[in-house]
Amino acid sequence: MKGRVAPAVFLGIPTLFLAALFVLPLLSMLVLSVWRTENYHIIRDVSFHNYAVLATEGAYMTFLMRSLVMATAVSAICTLIAWPVAYGITLYGGRYKLLFTLAFAVPFLTGEVLRIIALQGLLGPLGLLNGVLLALGAAPLRVIMYTNVASAIGLVYLYLPIVVTVIYLSLLNFDQRLIDAATIFGASPARAFFEITWPLNLFGTLIGFALCFIPCLSATLAPRFLGGPNGTLYGMAMAQQFGESGTWALGAAMGVVLFAVSVLLVVVAARLVDLRRTGFTGFGRG
Amino acid sequence: MAYIHLDGVSRQYGSVWAVDRVNMAIEKHEFVSLLGPSGSGKTTLLRIIAGLERPTQGRVLIDGEDVTELPPHKRGVAMVFQEFLLFPHRTVYENLAFPLRMLKLPKGEIEARVEWVVGILALRGLETRYPNQLSGGQQQRVALGRGLVGRPKVLLLDEPLANLDRELRQEMEVEIRKHQTGLGIPFVYVTHNQEEALSMSDRIAVVRGGRIEDFASRADIYDRPKTAFIAQFVGRSSRFEAIVAGGDRRLALRGDGILIEAESQPGLALGERVAAYVKNEKVRLKPAEPGGADAPNALPATVRHVILRGAYAEYVLGWSGGELIASRPRSEAEFAEGAAVTAFWNAADVDLFPVSEPGR
Ligand SMILES: Nc1ncnc2c1ncn2[C@@H]1O[C@H](COP(=O)(O)OP(=O)(O)O)[C@@H](O)[C@H]1O
Ligand SMILES: [Mg+2]
Repeated sequence: MKGRVAPAVFLGIPTLFLAALFVLPLLSMLVLSVWRTENYHIIRDVSFHNYAVLATEGAYMTFLMRSLVMATAVSAICTLIAWPVAYGITLYGGRYKLLFTLAFAVPFLTGEVLRIIALQGLLGPLGLLNGVLLALGAAPLRVIMYTNVASAIGLVYLYLPIVVTVIYLSLLNFDQRLIDAATIFGASPARAFFEITWPLNLFGTLIGFALCFIPCLSATLAPRFLGGPNGTLYGMAMAQQFGESGTWALGAAMGVVLFAVSVLLVVVAARLVDLRRTGFTGFGRG
Repeated sequence: MAYIHLDGVSRQYGSVWAVDRVNMAIEKHEFVSLLGPSGSGKTTLLRIIAGLERPTQGRVLIDGEDVTELPPHKRGVAMVFQEFLLFPHRTVYENLAFPLRMLKLPKGEIEARVEWVVGILALRGLETRYPNQLSGGQQQRVALGRGLVGRPKVLLLDEPLANLDRELRQEMEVEIRKHQTGLGIPFVYVTHNQEEALSMSDRIAVVRGGRIEDFASRADIYDRPKTAFIAQFVGRSSRFEAIVAGGDRRLALRGDGILIEAESQPGLALGERVAAYVKNEKVRLKPAEPGGADAPNALPATVRHVILRGAYAEYVLGWSGGELIASRPRSEAEFAEGAAVTAFWNAADVDLFPVSEPGR
């Protein structure tokens, strides 16, 4: 009895959860994307018109490409910063490890909007940074005033804590004594890192990367408040369809495209990476 | 000049000296065990030889070279860890090839050497498996293979058999010793298990509180313990407290209801308190004879329990001063529980130590 009910319950609940929160909304998006919106009304005749618009009007492609580049750059920067930070904490955190971990969650206690606006106050033309530069008699830094660089800084700032936390958790589960084993058998510290530490934390690193990459693709706030005229990102454009322009069906189509791109990237990543070699421990014995 | 030299090596953690002024000289073909209770500093000493830990004081010399300042990857030593520490993301083959790749050997040479280890350790057919697809015994063999494959200057083993069951352990003991003899390199083997140390070692260093209590041949350690600690820790024995009562060639000792005779020892004065140890297998038994009391080294006792251990029977005996154990071959006459017996032993089999602190 117990042998059948327990798995049914423990696998059933997440399945329902996924169905309710993920599959159903996705299906409704799919349906909406093949309808039309006119004057804030939904017209239910099926066509692929929205997808044709996305494919032919160059702006959408530009936004998507820009978003992909932006998400890649931001995720790479976050990963590069997060690694030494997380590694430093595992090595030298001592009994303050838990405190550090919790500290990374503190920024989340304020909302995303607040944090972005605060950053605007730092980076903008009248912001703290340029204010100090001006006061010192220097020229203001133009690259951080309403540019894609400013957007990138904002996104790094937003998602760095997540990436650090994920990589930190991965390193926490990593058996440091394997490094001892590697050095005993002739690996220099650098070699041991690339032979042992990096591959065994690759799974965690990829999760951290993805948890930054995916929201960056659909980011709306950072480009809106920090990006300039050339800073429109795909997610921001998509949000506009549901807001100001009222072209919901087109927005839904954009969402479907975004989802497809994300899935494609995950599939490609999964094909390139052999999970067994990434420190993924979910295989168990056998 | 010995092959490995530890010269006044100490390691301090906070206020604790985990390793305390250790001097050792290990020869090139020797199998040496570091035997001691948990927390006595064995692992720390091994890690100092490996270079994973820096000694607070002292020097480490391997093959005539002072390696004290050398990091582990430049020492040419290898290690087998208690927890195996195989690389989980690498196959058996890749684990075995790792030390060879670090040595930058040509591919053909690597293949040949891995092939050699796979052969001698019976790992054939497992080369493409990952460590989590192996049994404990197989993981142990891979760990040992990874230690041997690079032909290190010395192989350090830290309780490598502690996680294996008894049968497998005895099998591996034979195998490990065989490979040490075959390779002709020193093995330094850490264990808290006296049977392992006794079965494999040429010499045993008994470690206690970070210090080497004695470093001698296994026969000496077992048969002629230098300290009360060794007498207690190595082998199984019964302990009696007594006072030196006289005698010159042979010492007479008087305890609570017991008269002990032992071979004379220098430095024991009349009236001094001593602890006398008699190993279980040195205690013999005969049926109790009426009126035969008061002979030295003979105790009237009652059999309380009989524990069968295969070829041996362990008799737990009660006597007026407490309990005493006799371990006898099953081929001898057997005694039933409740039987009245006389336990007796030879004066030569009594190990005497002055009792410095009470309760020791
Ligand atoms: N990294 C360390 N930090 C602090 N104390 C340590 C450390 N390693 C070992 N010790 C202490 O040193 C002593 C010896 O430890 P160890 O060498 O592991 O003993 P053994 O291997 O004989 O069980 C113990 O008291 C232990 O607590
Ligand atoms: Mg230990």
